[in-house]
Amino acid sequence: MTETSNPAKPILGYTDTETVKLDFDNTTFRTVKYWALKTMKQFKLEGFIILKSSKNSYHVVFNRTVSWSENMSIVAWVTLLTGFEKLSKWLIMQCIKQSSTLRISSKIEKPSPRIVYRQGKEKGQICNFIYYRKLIKNIIRKLEST
Amino acid sequence: MVKKIAVYGNYQAKVPIKQRYWIKRKDGIKQRYWKKTKRLKKVTMSGRYEFHGKGKELYKAVVKAHHIVPKGFIDVSAERFLKEPEEYGFEGSWIDRDIESR
Repeated sequence: MTETSNPAKPILGYTDTETVKLDFDNTTFRTVKYWALKTMKQFKLEGFIILKSSKNSYHVVFNRTVSWSENMSIVAWVTLLTGFEKLSKWLIMQCIKQSSTLRISSKIEKPSPRIVYRQGKEKGQICNFIYYRKLIKNIIRKLEST
Repeated sequence: MVKKIAVYGNYQAKVPIKQRYWIKRKDGIKQRYWKKTKRLKKVTMSGRYEFHGKGKELYKAVVKAHHIVPKGFIDVSAERFLKEPEEYGFEGSWIDRDIESR
């Protein structure tokens, strides 16, 4: 745990129930891309974007709108097949909250996630995600300038 | 469906100290009670807001959330939070402490 003397800020993120999101920690880009592609094909998710949140940490956002139960079923399928412990922890947290969240702002020693790969359609939930990402980034910019 | 902005992290706030006291009931059993005192103590806690609403209201709510920390897990519209922020949180300051993805 680290604490700094600068005035600290809370973390800002994007939350909803109908977008399939995945949070991979300690995973290489190749592996993330492999699982994102496999999930997209298996569940006909139309497209996805990969965001790099820090070294060997990636977020994946899929395009197709799904129900909350389908969303959790897809994330659970990926968690079971990959066997990633951090992803399963993240899944449990989302189940408790009954909505899934991905970070948009920066965190201690971690920059804000940036898009590193796009594939397939983007006019569904990816479009919404990017809209809210812009909105949150504008809020952060305004806060920093005042 | 509703898209929300999550504001979360760890914060420090001053909360009233609770004092324990005992009262002997009519049936002879001593029962423990707690009462809020006026004394305050500094505590570190974690909390989370989930705001939904329009862009301008969201901006104002996030700005306000920088000074008013949440009472646990708060899911509220930005408009309602701006009307009565004290209902959903209290004064405190966010701290930079590593927090896992939530």
